[in-house]
Amino acid sequence: MSARTRQGLVLLALLLAALALPLAVKLPYFLHLIILALIWVVLAQGQNLIQGFTGYVSIAQAGFMGIGAYASTLLSVKLGWPVWLAMAAAPMLTAVLALLAGYPSLRVKGHYFAIVTLAYNMVIFIVLTTWSSLTGGEAGISKVPRPPDIAVGPFVWLLSERVGYYYLVLAAAALTTGLCALILHSRVGRVLVAIRQNEGLIEATGVQTWRYKLLAFVVSASLAGLAGALYAHFIGFLNPDAFGVDHSLNAILAVILGGSGTLAGPVVGAFAVVFLPEYLRVAENYRLVIYGFILVAATIFMPRGLVPLATQGLGAWWTRPKQEPK
Amino acid sequence: MLIEILQQMLNGLAIGSVYTVIALGLTVVFGILGIAHFAHGSVAMSGGYLTFLFGERLGAGFFTAMALAMLAGAVIGLLIERLAYRPVRDAPHINAFIIALGLTMMIEGLNLLAFGADQVVIQTPYRGVFQIGGVAVAELRLLVIVTACTLIAAVGLLISRTKTGKSIRAVAQNRPAAVLMGVNVNQVSAIVFSVSSALGAAAGALVGALLAIAPGVGEGLAVKGFAVLILGGLGSIPGAIVGGLVLGISESLAAGFLSSAYKDVIAFTVMIVVLLFRPEGLLGKR
Repeated sequence: MSARTRQGLVLLALLLAALALPLAVKLPYFLHLIILALIWVVLAQGQNLIQGFTGYVSIAQAGFMGIGAYASTLLSVKLGWPVWLAMAAAPMLTAVLALLAGYPSLRVKGHYFAIVTLAYNMVIFIVLTTWSSLTGGEAGISKVPRPPDIAVGPFVWLLSERVGYYYLVLAAAALTTGLCALILHSRVGRVLVAIRQNEGLIEATGVQTWRYKLLAFVVSASLAGLAGALYAHFIGFLNPDAFGVDHSLNAILAVILGGSGTLAGPVVGAFAVVFLPEYLRVAENYRLVIYGFILVAATIFMPRGLVPLATQGLGAWWTRPKQEPK
Repeated sequence: MLIEILQQMLNGLAIGSVYTVIALGLTVVFGILGIAHFAHGSVAMSGGYLTFLFGERLGAGFFTAMALAMLAGAVIGLLIERLAYRPVRDAPHINAFIIALGLTMMIEGLNLLAFGADQVVIQTPYRGVFQIGGVAVAELRLLVIVTACTLIAAVGLLISRTKTGKSIRAVAQNRPAAVLMGVNVNQVSAIVFSVSSALGAAAGALVGALLAIAPGVGEGLAVKGFAVLILGGLGSIPGAIVGGLVLGISESLAAGFLSSAYKDVIAFTVMIVVLLFRPEGLLGKR
């Protein structure tokens, strides 16, 4: 069995397990958390694109998620757009904003890029909180509609039900991961990884790195916008609290914890940051301290994240072809 | 109108000088160790809380309390350098930055646990107000500016005039060469972190006296500090001074004439505009 077919089989098994999951999960709250985690997969894959592949830490992911969430909500609630159309428009609007924001911020490198994006997140948060005639301020917007059910012949996809929405976010998470895989294995992906490894060298070979960095930033932000739209129409109530800087830090934590620069890492990381607080609830007051500690300890002791660690532990069964006996 | 503008500029000068102190702490760490020490703002907040605590519990005067907080800040800086940053010294710089983000969360969390979520204002006896040509000059603001200038001058002298300063500059210019010349790099980075964190603690005390300290203020301060460096140009002390004043004054003018809710938005817009036209900063070298 070649490594490729083995990987394919594992993926197929995972997909079947994911499709069958709602049958096994009896606790509605558990399914609720899984849906949130899948939304975070979309967000974390976006973060991984700029942080893991390109090596530029952006601290604006939650801010862009907020833009997507509010765009989709306002278009459907205030302008009466169909929910599906609004949800499709949200990532595009986020991408346009990210294009405008990315151009000046990519003129600085490394840490300073991170700080500028952090400033963006603060600006977005201030605007969402202060412009209350549009966003409802702290009180927020309630009754954000779910997308309508889809009927194909005798089959009805009940998006108003939690299980139906689960399949929507599952599809979004899977497609996002697929998109990131495509990017990683394309020329663009190779340039992005090269930028992380040695930006000076790749620039010297005549590649206009800023275009690739801008592309990574815009795609990353629009994935955050998609995650925001999925989040808003799932939760049904929107206020700025979910889009502050601390949530951007969580997105970074998800990527680092899972395995930055890998495809499976953000998936694992997203589930970790959604489920961890549930188990840390006993220590609610210490949550921030524990999170920070995990981030510091993970960076020092397992900088490559859980996924590479686990695959190494499995004897590299996942990546390396097995030695065939001659 | 003119008086109003002068008034706001004076207010901006006071807060801008605090931003410069923050930025100075960031720039020495960045220049020498290449670490964007984002947790600096949270360390500053700890300094502010400690100043408040020493003043309330021990009955110390403002400046005594601030000096004690600076000492505590130096110790915190030493611990941070030894426990968190030194293990990743040879790893890619992005790791150190992520550690800085983790430290920010930890220190913010510890501040919250130790001092609560309520806003704290450090009371000082300096409540006088002078009138100079129609402009109201608060005694406290003047003292903040003078204190900030003293700290900036002290750090400038430390770096340019002492033997320690010489080794700090040597490490900043060429680390391997400095090691070969017998400079103890571990000692230099410990000194740099304690000086930087002491400066941060002082800035936190000044913010607490001038405005207020509350959870979340620290992150804002760190971003402002970096904005100052981006504005002024990296690794330049005059740049940090100019950047701090530009940021403080534009923020005050924005608060006074446009909207106080959006003052940070306007301050960051100034930073973005400078980035667009002079990515190397106002005083940076091309």
